[in-house]
Amino acid sequence: MNPAWRHPSFGVGALLMALVLGAALLSLVWTPHDPTAMRIMARLRPPSAEHWLGTDQFGRDIASMVLVGARNALLVGLVAVGIGLVFGVALGMLAALYRGRLLDEAVMRSLDFVFAFPAVLTAILILTWFGPGLVNAVVAIGIFNIPVFARQARAATLQVLAQDYIRAARLAGLSRAAVMRRHILPNITGLMIVQGSTQFAFAILAEASLSYLGIGTQPPNPSWGRMLNDAQTYLAAAPHLALVPGFAIAITVLAFNLLGDGLRDLLDPRMKER
Amino acid sequence: MMKPIRQLAGPACLALGLALATLPAAAQARDALTLCQTLEPPILDPSGGAAAAIREVTYGNIFEGLVAYDRDGKVVPALAREWSTSADGLVWQFRLRPAQFHDGSAVTAADVKFSFERAVAPDSKNAQKWIFEPIASIATPAPDLVEITLKSFTADFLEGLAMGDATIFSAASVGKAATEPVGTGPYRFMRWQRGDRLLLERNDSWWGPKPALKSVTFRFISDPQAQVSALLAGDCDAHTNLGAHEAVAQLRADPRLAVTIGRTEGETIVAINNAKAPFSDLRVRQAMAMAVDRRLVNEGAVSGLGTPIGSHFSPNHPAYLDLTAERLVDLARARALLAAAGYPNGFATTLRLPPPAYARRSGEIVAAMLGQIGIRATIEPLEWPQWLERVFRNKDFDMTIVAHVEPLDVNIYTRDSYYFGYQSPLVKEAYARTKTARSEAERREAFRTIQRQITEDQVNLFLFMLPKITVARKGLAGLWPNWPVPANPLAELRWE
Repeated sequence: MNPAWRHPSFGVGALLMALVLGAALLSLVWTPHDPTAMRIMARLRPPSAEHWLGTDQFGRDIASMVLVGARNALLVGLVAVGIGLVFGVALGMLAALYRGRLLDEAVMRSLDFVFAFPAVLTAILILTWFGPGLVNAVVAIGIFNIPVFARQARAATLQVLAQDYIRAARLAGLSRAAVMRRHILPNITGLMIVQGSTQFAFAILAEASLSYLGIGTQPPNPSWGRMLNDAQTYLAAAPHLALVPGFAIAITVLAFNLLGDGLRDLLDPRMKER
Repeated sequence: MMKPIRQLAGPACLALGLALATLPAAAQARDALTLCQTLEPPILDPSGGAAAAIREVTYGNIFEGLVAYDRDGKVVPALAREWSTSADGLVWQFRLRPAQFHDGSAVTAADVKFSFERAVAPDSKNAQKWIFEPIASIATPAPDLVEITLKSFTADFLEGLAMGDATIFSAASVGKAATEPVGTGPYRFMRWQRGDRLLLERNDSWWGPKPALKSVTFRFISDPQAQVSALLAGDCDAHTNLGAHEAVAQLRADPRLAVTIGRTEGETIVAINNAKAPFSDLRVRQAMAMAVDRRLVNEGAVSGLGTPIGSHFSPNHPAYLDLTAERLVDLARARALLAAAGYPNGFATTLRLPPPAYARRSGEIVAAMLGQIGIRATIEPLEWPQWLERVFRNKDFDMTIVAHVEPLDVNIYTRDSYYFGYQSPLVKEAYARTKTARSEAERREAFRTIQRQITEDQVNLFLFMLPKITVARKGLAGLWPNWPVPANPLAELRWE
């Protein structure tokens, strides 16, 4: 067996992750019912053979909504982390390259400025300004991922830049851009992946929070956060409405956090030696 | 010997604990009440703002007018013992009963003149100035006699005077009305802990029969779930209009509580921007009406507790006409109408929704129903200030959902600059007739003409009347089941 699977965090994380990913992929081709079809006279039904997880306050099939919600959550995480990763790593490497100079200071201090604000609070501000909606929410969450990646990328780049083989490469006539591409990027990728999985969990939670507050994903598109919000008023009458999306969010966040933990250990060269 | 004593000690402590636990409720049982309502009034001056919560606390409790609405929406005497009108309907004489303000001063004709002139003054913040606008002059021939002369015959003058906005103040204390109100009603203001509760005490010098309750606490709980918890925990003896419709079944099953489903005056409508294409085309509005099943919206949005309506008029009013059978749901005809209007594939539009749950829930359902005929409505949730600014004032909207809660507010269909952009000479003419009608029958007929016309023109989609869900501890009698005006007259309450 591959030793990676024997790492407990990575193994469990990957398993849960496969579950969520499977649900998201499945929802692309099949859901038990149309997740937006309302059957108002059959609302708030408990789980049954026809509706495996029951129906919501408008008689929509909760199982179908949760499946489509998984797609929504993964998409949010992917795009938000993507934004952070691309801009963050580029800015971080740039800053490291011009270490101590004006450009470095300008980039890092303005990112510190962004980082100083609580992410969800500022996302609320952005959404109030530009209007609620999934796209704006994802962009807002993505922006807050930039400084996280930039700091990590800058520190890691500086570490690599100090190595003798970089100096050798430069002396051999390799351009700065080529050094970045050939030597630095591959060396910091592992670290960025670990950070990415943690930020992925954060992004999913942030989108759920924003949707819970009614400014993220808008109806009729299913979102776990909004399902939780809708469920709140029916807590006494139909607790399954809140349990299902709550459980889905918990599993997904757990999956990415465990995966991140596992990857950190597995990608750490010191761990490999042992 | 020790053992029996120990055995006794347990139950004894338990009994004592139970006695202590039930003590507050028992002490409250006869002449005290905690009445919970959803919204807290911003101020307590009923002539100084439109917020219904002001009058929910003050109407018939702290403040009174010359006349009042009773629980059936009939006009009954209050500070005026009796009244008469001249043959041409222009001169009204009100005979005042002997009554006192809470500060001990007597209520005189001069107070009435002062209050009405203050209400109509240019700097007045009165939300219903129309009540006073027909007044040409107010004379005070005797301390207990008020003579009001109107500019022209006004059929609803007396109804206006029964509203909470036509309260009688004394010039000496009106300045403090917003925070420390001094009125004439059966309850005097004691204390207001903002954000939480307001205390009233029985006014033993009130002119009416002595009310049963000595002290009443209004508590303000806006969160629907917290309202349910407070009722179950006994923190509230009653809630005047519960927000959590979905909890009704659970509360009904509780043997300690009694649930009454009544009606408010809140016509919940999908307001359409009639001045904007494609909604300016009658066929489009008709098609929309044929796609939206108001009975299902009522079920999904307010758990079926509302009353479906087919026009902008309250079933509480005697002139009500049931028009819910007009334009029944017919998707095939709706699509044909859309195609005839030039939209065979429907169109994209927005539905801007204010915060209340009834609006947000109705919005999701209406959007799904419109989707069946190809009208793709994007939902945009707004906060109240945004909604008032963009939708209500700037008319920057396609569709919205809101409840119009003022009683007999069909006059909004005669205002040219009103947000839904409807203009109809026919409706204006009929509305003028409701003001000049000399008989009740004539007046009702005019109201029916308006109802038919706005349904005919399908100005908006008329959904349902917002329900009033009264939940009270068993034994509390006298709460209003319906809200002809949003009010909770405490003098009518008693524990049985």
